[in-house]
Amino acid sequence: MSSFATFAKTLLQTLSSPPCVFTKVKTRCHHRDCYRRCRLRRRRLQAREKMEQRLASSLIMTVNEKKFIEDALLSDIRVDGRRPFDYRNLTIRFGSEDGSSEVQLGQTQVIGFVTGQLTQPYRDRPNEGAFAIYTEFSPMADPSFEPGRPGETAIELGRIVDRGLRESRAVDTESLCVIAGKLVWSIRIDLHIIDNGGNLVDAANIAALAALSTFRRPECTLGGEDGQELIVHPPDVREPLPLILHHFPVAVTFGFIGKENIVVIDPTHYEEAVMGGSMTATLNTNGDVCAIQKAGGDGVLQSVIMQCLRIASVKAGDITSKIKNAVESYNTQRSLRKIKRHNLDQQGSSDVAKHHMERLTVGSDQSGNGSQFNEHDKTNKRNNTLKGFSGGPASWDPYSSGVDGDALRTTLASRVTPLDKHKEESSPVNPETKPSPKSSDTIGLEMKQSKTLKDAVKPKHKRRNKSNAC
Amino acid sequence: MDIELGRKSINCNEEGDSQKLGTIDPKSTPFANIMEVDRVDGRTGNQRRPVVCTRGVLNRAHGSASWAQGDTKVIAAVYGPKAGTKKNENPEKACIEVIWKPKTGQSGKPEREYEMVLKKTLQSICLLNVHPNTTTSVIIQVVNDDGALLPCAINAACSALVDAGFPLKHLAVAICCCVADNGHIILDPKKLEEQNMKAFIYLVFPNSIQSVLPEGSLKPGGEVTEHGIITSVTHGVMAVDDYFSCLKMGRAAAVELSDFLRNSLKSKAGNDPSKAG
Repeated sequence: MSSFATFAKTLLQTLSSPPCVFTKVKTRCHHRDCYRRCRLRRRRLQAREKMEQRLASSLIMTVNEKKFIEDALLSDIRVDGRRPFDYRNLTIRFGSEDGSSEVQLGQTQVIGFVTGQLTQPYRDRPNEGAFAIYTEFSPMADPSFEPGRPGETAIELGRIVDRGLRESRAVDTESLCVIAGKLVWSIRIDLHIIDNGGNLVDAANIAALAALSTFRRPECTLGGEDGQELIVHPPDVREPLPLILHHFPVAVTFGFIGKENIVVIDPTHYEEAVMGGSMTATLNTNGDVCAIQKAGGDGVLQSVIMQCLRIASVKAGDITSKIKNAVESYNTQRSLRKIKRHNLDQQGSSDVAKHHMERLTVGSDQSGNGSQFNEHDKTNKRNNTLKGFSGGPASWDPYSSGVDGDALRTTLASRVTPLDKHKEESSPVNPETKPSPKSSDTIGLEMKQSKTLKDAVKPKHKRRNKSNAC
Repeated sequence: MDIELGRKSINCNEEGDSQKLGTIDPKSTPFANIMEVDRVDGRTGNQRRPVVCTRGVLNRAHGSASWAQGDTKVIAAVYGPKAGTKKNENPEKACIEVIWKPKTGQSGKPEREYEMVLKKTLQSICLLNVHPNTTTSVIIQVVNDDGALLPCAINAACSALVDAGFPLKHLAVAICCCVADNGHIILDPKKLEEQNMKAFIYLVFPNSIQSVLPEGSLKPGGEVTEHGIITSVTHGVMAVDDYFSCLKMGRAAAVELSDFLRNSLKSKAGNDPSKAG
């Protein structure tokens, strides 16, 4: 804009607006009571009001409370009865979808969601996937959390979790690549803090790790006429794949309270309001220090830092084993749920157990042919799927030597009774269940099913065609 | 937590203060043509998903509740009353502020719409003159969305307000009905069903009034209050007759749901020390 135009614009503005009542000046007035045109002042006032409101709802500690916390720590007692190096109770739960976790650390609750989508990779990393962490300090966690743009604590938390996962290469990004330079998986981790009971970093980190461990991404293959088209298989057609996590970087937070810098682990929000400084160490069970965050606060002796790191490695081992146990139990539940749903689909129409036995006696050579059938003939799909299920590993590769029919019969007979039980339980409840109308119950699912079922029931069963397993 | 049991019978679970509830007795409803509809999870046309309602989920919030209908789960938290109202609000009444947090991604236009609907619904059930010139914040967090999200959120917000001790005129009971392509009315659809239906409606009714006096509930203008509709949000095109049959079905479901709500909210009364501040 030319200078004359700007001059004209300002002139018009000043002439059209009324003058300030206090100074009778038409131009921008900085009189402290002139609210009408003092936009600068007004904005400053609003910001100050907002900060006052925020402080008013944030935690205000009385002097007595502060002194009580510090004095109790001198005798190694914390307000909630823990010792200085004890963690609060950790509970890890999972939602009904893959990749959603709910972590409760004492009074702190965090929910984590992991979602993925196909995007273009970064230009300087054409064969690596991407992942991003979004932290939401929900206003329900604390009355002082404002909705809208994240504050500095939210950003710091996001950066600590991100650094622990990205720099230490915990998430294998190269396996997320589909077509180098064109399509990669972009993983998005959303962490929602829903209850602030102190030590949000640790809880958020655990939620992120738990959600990443249970996330499944759909399998994609290159197909089509020229072999260049990307096919993303929906989860009912092909079993989705988990992410590859090399190790679990666990964050452990220490607070330094009082003049003597007494160290406490896992501070509650009362202790956080009292503490002079804090340090977060991210470690894994291999003994690596992935990240250390000590942003300001009181100065601490080197020996204290080394002691903290030693304690943190022990705690990291505890937490990692808890996460792994929770993820394992979730995975077994998930596979049982899939089998139950698969059985419900089949039982609605026929007596499954008897069919299994009949088809087994026919022999496993027919099951080899059955696999060829299934690719082309979807109308006989139900019979073929039964055949495929009873055929087991032999039906994957029609050219291999078949599995011994007798051995299979005995293994399946041992599993027939649980199938019967499932059938009895579910038949009075779902008399109208029809088999899934989607034509997605292909042999692929059954092969995966039988593999999973065998894993769950007979871990020692040796499968001949392990190399052909998809 | 046996979901199959929950569909057929009433199951009061003591741990965690949660309760599940079953279905409307199919013989009692006047919609005989509903039964023929086939649904993916085996429910009939007028069967709700099992409901799990938990109060007092969060520690810092003044009131909190989590409401799960099948796989749809929503957590609601209430803070307040705080001093001062927003700029354009009436200072002689309490103001209700709703913040809707989606599961992933930024808050966009659909979230604003949900916030507005929720705010208007809650304003009609609260006694706003008890705390003038105050703001009460209701924060909704979507944990999982599998159909009927807004009714779930309204139920959760109502339970959270009760948990916070906010003065209410009556409870609000929300339900979702949809109209299939063949004209059948279906209750409480899942996400896939919602997307395939011709139209669906979210309905909010006041809960049924239990009166101490033998005369029964209030009758302003001759019509019983429990037949009033607080909110109705429709998506899609449907015939007027379909809409009225949805209303009838929704009202029947709401009566049963309101009994469940009353029982589950009554059980924890008087046990909690004050959580404010």
